[in-house]
Amino acid sequence: MIVVLAIDALEYDLVKKFHCRNLMQKFYGKTDISEFSEPRTMVLWSSFMTGMNIEHEILSLGDNGMWNARVENKRTFFSNFVNPAVFDLPGYNYETLHHEEERKLLKKFFDAKHDSEKESVRQSYNRLAFDHHKKIKNNFTKALKESHDLVLGYFSIADVIGHLNFGNAFLMKMIYRDLDEIAGGIDSPFLVLSDHGMKPIGFFGDHSSYGFWSSGEYDLGEPKITDFKKIILDLFHEQRAV
Amino acid sequence: MDDNALKLVIVGHVDHGKSTLIGRLLFDTGSLPEDKIIEIRQICSSLGKEFEFGFILDNLEEERDQGITIDTTQIFFNSNIRKYVIIDAPGHVEFVKNMITGASQAEAATVIIDAEEGVKEQTKRHAYILSMLGIQNILVLINKMDRVGYDQNRFNEVKKSFIDFLNDIKLNAIHFIPISANQGDNVVKKSENISWYHGPTFLEALDSIPAKQTFRDNPLRFSVQDVYNFSTRIIAGKVISGVLHQNDDILILPSGERTHIRSLEEYMKNPTEAETGKCIGVTTTDKVFCDRGYIFTDPHNAPKVTHTFCANIFWMDKKSCKKDQPVIFRCSTQESRGTIINFHTVINSSSLELIGENSDEIHNREVARVTIQTDIPVIVEEYSKTAELGRFVLVTDDISAGGIITEVFP
Repeated sequence: MIVVLAIDALEYDLVKKFHCRNLMQKFYGKTDISEFSEPRTMVLWSSFMTGMNIEHEILSLGDNGMWNARVENKRTFFSNFVNPAVFDLPGYNYETLHHEEERKLLKKFFDAKHDSEKESVRQSYNRLAFDHHKKIKNNFTKALKESHDLVLGYFSIADVIGHLNFGNAFLMKMIYRDLDEIAGGIDSPFLVLSDHGMKPIGFFGDHSSYGFWSSGEYDLGEPKITDFKKIILDLFHEQRAV
Repeated sequence: MDDNALKLVIVGHVDHGKSTLIGRLLFDTGSLPEDKIIEIRQICSSLGKEFEFGFILDNLEEERDQGITIDTTQIFFNSNIRKYVIIDAPGHVEFVKNMITGASQAEAATVIIDAEEGVKEQTKRHAYILSMLGIQNILVLINKMDRVGYDQNRFNEVKKSFIDFLNDIKLNAIHFIPISANQGDNVVKKSENISWYHGPTFLEALDSIPAKQTFRDNPLRFSVQDVYNFSTRIIAGKVISGVLHQNDDILILPSGERTHIRSLEEYMKNPTEAETGKCIGVTTTDKVFCDRGYIFTDPHNAPKVTHTFCANIFWMDKKSCKKDQPVIFRCSTQESRGTIINFHTVINSSSLELIGENSDEIHNREVARVTIQTDIPVIVEEYSKTAELGRFVLVTDDISAGGIITEVFP
């Protein structure tokens, strides 16, 4: 079984700061996403699964349309697997209604005029994100015990919560701890990959211009996000050969 | 820092429950605002996690990094009888440096040991550095007793193995207490799960540590800074221990002359006493020989005049120092050329690993137990007795080391 922890906005500096040993594994580093015009979630994950930079194709769907993007299975490396389990991956089987609700609340927060209203929206937004996180975590953990040849869990919590709460370092630390515990519960070889990191903008968080990777077996240097299709397939073939 | 608070250091292996203990202590003594606990509980609940007391310290650390809490290297809590402050712990270079140079001194230390895992190498290193720092009040907590079914035999096993080690390094613990910081057994509240233990809880044991003496109880030490010959001869200096009174009978060291204080001199004032920390001029009833670096003392409780003493030093110079290399020793207003004649033990201040015994040199950020020999006689004391005469610096090109004296030879 190949396992991929796909974590949105997992920030290299915070993984180090919070000593997330399971997320770091033996080898870890930053990914190079400089070929993309901006660190956009849908663009980056779509490019990851196809092994190609498809920024132009995704952006052509427009600001609203790109959130509904669905890359065909045959174009992704998932088609090389017999029984893959992929959860909530942007551009593939992203739970669009849920994430749309998050984006609506985010807009409502910034549109709100009064602090009390902002705080109320923030709480609803956080609750929605945490509930979704727990659901994905359960599904992912369950899948690890089943007979899949690939398990890929996409966790959006660090990104969603980070956008509104990046200045709450304790909250971010607890989220990173939880993600680290998820990594610690994986028995098979696994890769950790983020699309981009996160940098502070006042109390809020915005996407940073590099991602994070880690591996228990190989030093990957400073890979591009599109390199991971080959990396994962090589690992898979290696595993099958053994 | 609140000078009245008892300074406590908590040490132990990284996974043996230090953070949980501190969180539990703050929680059970009511030393945290209620909304802080609510916030932590809410975050735990959001993530589907159980509340852990270790998260309290995590929260304080993050607030410190953001500048919300001023300093979590000092964490305050209260019992019913006094205040406490937990200061930073070994493993942090600054802590070792501050302790060794006398910048801050813990009055009590707590060693925490996991009942399941027992005594680890890191536990021993921490205990060893405590012995170097000369901390007398040591409490040992055998933690996570809930994980071993509150088993008395396991407690006794761990206790015995640690006592054997403490004996080797000549350190005594005043209490061994079985606790579960996570469950709250014997930290602040008496445990019903450990009915075979009849000793104090951790907080009761802390409360039983005697309060430090006030400066009024300490013997007189007056350090001479300068001598001025006006119409009268005024000796200027600083009271570095005890209280200096008019008419006091004094012994002057190193000369050994005896005389009395005729008057205390302060501009536009006529004081009759000067307390510790006060800089003041004095006149004596007899004409005595006196110079900068001389010490006036209580004749019935005088420090030794010596060339040789043992000390713990923290080397902060990028250039290393070799055995018998000339250094300048400065203590209070005294100064003498001298040498380090023995590096008994040298320790890495970060890892606390023993680097060598009877070594030939010391490097930057290393700690050592040494013997120092001065060219001229100096008046020094153990740091635990009189801080100002037990604390010194060594100078090569610049200040290279700070240290505290642990033993003075005649």
